[in-house]
Amino acid sequence: MSAALEKPQIIAHIQKSLNYTVFESRWIPCSAKFVCMGNFARGTGVMQIYEIQHGELKLVKEIEKPKPIKCGTFGASSLQHRHLATGDFDGNLNVWNLEAPECPVYSVKAHKEIINGVDGVGGLGIGDGAPEILTGSRDGTVKVWDSRQKDTPVVNMEPMEGEGKRDCWTVAFGHAFNDQDRCVCAGYDNGDIKLFDLRNMSLRWETNIKNGVCSVEFDRKDINMNKLVATSLEGKFHVFDMRTQHPSKGFASVTEKAHKSTVWQVRHLPQNRDIFMTAGGAGNLHLWKYEYPAQRTKKDSDEVDMGVAGSVNLLQNVTLSTQPISSLDWSPDKQGLCVASSFDQSVRVLIVTKLNTV
Amino acid sequence: MPLIVRDHSWTQNQNTVYISVPLKGAKTTNVHVICTDEYLKVSFPPFLFEVFLFEPINEEKSEARIGDGVAVFTLQKRRDEHWEQLFTNIDKEKQKQVRERAILKVQEKEAEKSKAKASRIQQEKKYALETMMKLENEERDRIQKIKDEECARASAEMDFWRETQRKTAEEKENRQRLQGSGGKRDNKPVHQKTERVNVTPAITPLHNNSNTTSGQRSIKPKPKDLPVPRSAGCIKISFTPRVFPTALRESRVPEEEEWLKKQAEARRAVDTDLAELEDLSEEERNPDWLKEKGDKLFMAGNFQAAVNAYNLGIKLNRKIPALFSNRAACHLKLRNLHKAIEDSSQALELLTPAVAANAAARLKAHVRRGTAFCELQLYVEGLLDYQAALEIDPRNEALRTDTDEIREIIQGNTSPSNS
Repeated sequence: MSAALEKPQIIAHIQKSLNYTVFESRWIPCSAKFVCMGNFARGTGVMQIYEIQHGELKLVKEIEKPKPIKCGTFGASSLQHRHLATGDFDGNLNVWNLEAPECPVYSVKAHKEIINGVDGVGGLGIGDGAPEILTGSRDGTVKVWDSRQKDTPVVNMEPMEGEGKRDCWTVAFGHAFNDQDRCVCAGYDNGDIKLFDLRNMSLRWETNIKNGVCSVEFDRKDINMNKLVATSLEGKFHVFDMRTQHPSKGFASVTEKAHKSTVWQVRHLPQNRDIFMTAGGAGNLHLWKYEYPAQRTKKDSDEVDMGVAGSVNLLQNVTLSTQPISSLDWSPDKQGLCVASSFDQSVRVLIVTKLNTV
Repeated sequence: MPLIVRDHSWTQNQNTVYISVPLKGAKTTNVHVICTDEYLKVSFPPFLFEVFLFEPINEEKSEARIGDGVAVFTLQKRRDEHWEQLFTNIDKEKQKQVRERAILKVQEKEAEKSKAKASRIQQEKKYALETMMKLENEERDRIQKIKDEECARASAEMDFWRETQRKTAEEKENRQRLQGSGGKRDNKPVHQKTERVNVTPAITPLHNNSNTTSGQRSIKPKPKDLPVPRSAGCIKISFTPRVFPTALRESRVPEEEEWLKKQAEARRAVDTDLAELEDLSEEERNPDWLKEKGDKLFMAGNFQAAVNAYNLGIKLNRKIPALFSNRAACHLKLRNLHKAIEDSSQALELLTPAVAANAAARLKAHVRRGTAFCELQLYVEGLLDYQAALEIDPRNEALRTDTDEIREIIQGNTSPSNS
């Protein structure tokens, strides 16, 4: 029995029922507050800021906007300002100052259709280089924006002429370890994963995992690419070892089947890049730890280096709800604290214990 | 017939009767006793001893001791009086009745005993279950308590952390307020309580103030040196091609694979054992060439020759649906309507499973068959085919008008127009 209690426990600390559909929830950096983004039943977008006080959530602010909001990130803003960049159902990218939300700090009509995923890099005191915001949309394009440049994206990754378009469901920044290097990873609904190198402005690697890609994330944005986790429909996720790229075989990967339903989200623990949590379509959360192999590279038959994928262990799992958990976010300030929102119109604050001894 | 034992002996006192029956060497286990209030039977095959008692006795209080070659019965009298004799003289009828009653009574007793035993077992099982449940509940409570403790500890930690955050933020604000009275603070609204202390190079309270004497200079936050925005770039991408343009979730992969396999097989199947083959040239042995030849003849209007070409093709390879379908078209032109129907049916059979790839072929076959049916005035069957064709291609206007016409004809039963 004692061995079981040394595993990390996922404890549902607070649960709050909301009166709108919530799509994403994000911690405000350096605070005990988080923002929930979604849309009201009347079709307008909403952002609510909650603070944790004495074991309860207190609503600090509610902001209503004309269009429903799908996703948001603090990744590209500085720590003093802590502006939230949101993508909405109409394809608009807005950067808000949550203290004065009447008028966005930066606004652009980024895409023609809904923005499915947004990510930011270069802010929050993490990493070097210009702060940039990345958006991926149902119109098949992925664009990178800089808030100092109006109206046009800094980089645009779009289908070739005459090519049928596939929805882009998720985007992530990575490999941003110095001023110039950046990588963008995008996952599409036909199972394509594409890795773009922004320094060379080219496609660096692509692969197809056969099922639509729901979520991609690098384990850290601001280091040389180490690992990439991509989750997909039908309960599978893939962990790619990104340190060694083989010219033809690409990156080595390990696949795990879990959840028995769509794996909606993956998030790495900010304090430990080998621990990540996946959220599933049956309302369950799985906490995983990646173990590196003894040798991370090996030589193939032509004496070319290729990577070796490690293994993934399930540390803990818990079922919180009957509806999919669509969004997860770890708090960057307190290890083990995370907020999860799900389609049963509720948001939960979870505490994961014993992560420092895992 | 059992042997009746008569050499028993009996004695009595005021309230008990003692009967002793010799067991004649029978084993103790073989002795079977039935005793009721008015009747006693001891049977140890092949011997039998029975007695119809003079007066009723108390069967519960009586006892029997069987051992040492003799069975001794101590019977408690109901009424304390002296018995003249042991037996009562009752007639055979009565005897039979008494025996029957005795047997019934014994049966009842057995039934009661077994019932009592069953209920006792039930009780014990229930008790065992209850104790198990109690133990499990205790275990669960213990685990729950441990979990709750963890939870409480974690939330206490979090509250503490929040408090420290807030305290440090307040301290910082106080410090700033004390120093930067003339300085223009960075527009940080008051209720942003929590900040990390070691960040914000933009705020330079201490250093600047010590330098300025007037203190009136506004302290502008120094912008961090950000690299310039990236020069615009565009990366063109293409998506993974699939044999069929659908994502895995929308595809009907098994059927499509089946269709591909069938096509591949059809290509390979050639019936080579025909006597006439030697006469044919190399070209004429290729079903594809024959199909093309047939098509050309059809275009030229030479329908009979086209039929011949298709016939040869079919003889070589019975699995190519196009041959049947085109031959059906020829027959239609030649007004061989039954043959047209047969051929298009054959073509449709070969075109299973129904996938997007063979939709066009199926459409043609349905239309041809439908036309043939209508020419034969079998309008209902024709309508079925036209409807199937409409399902494949709902946008075809000509098809739609034709279908409507046929429907009218069926409903109106008017004289058929040439469809």
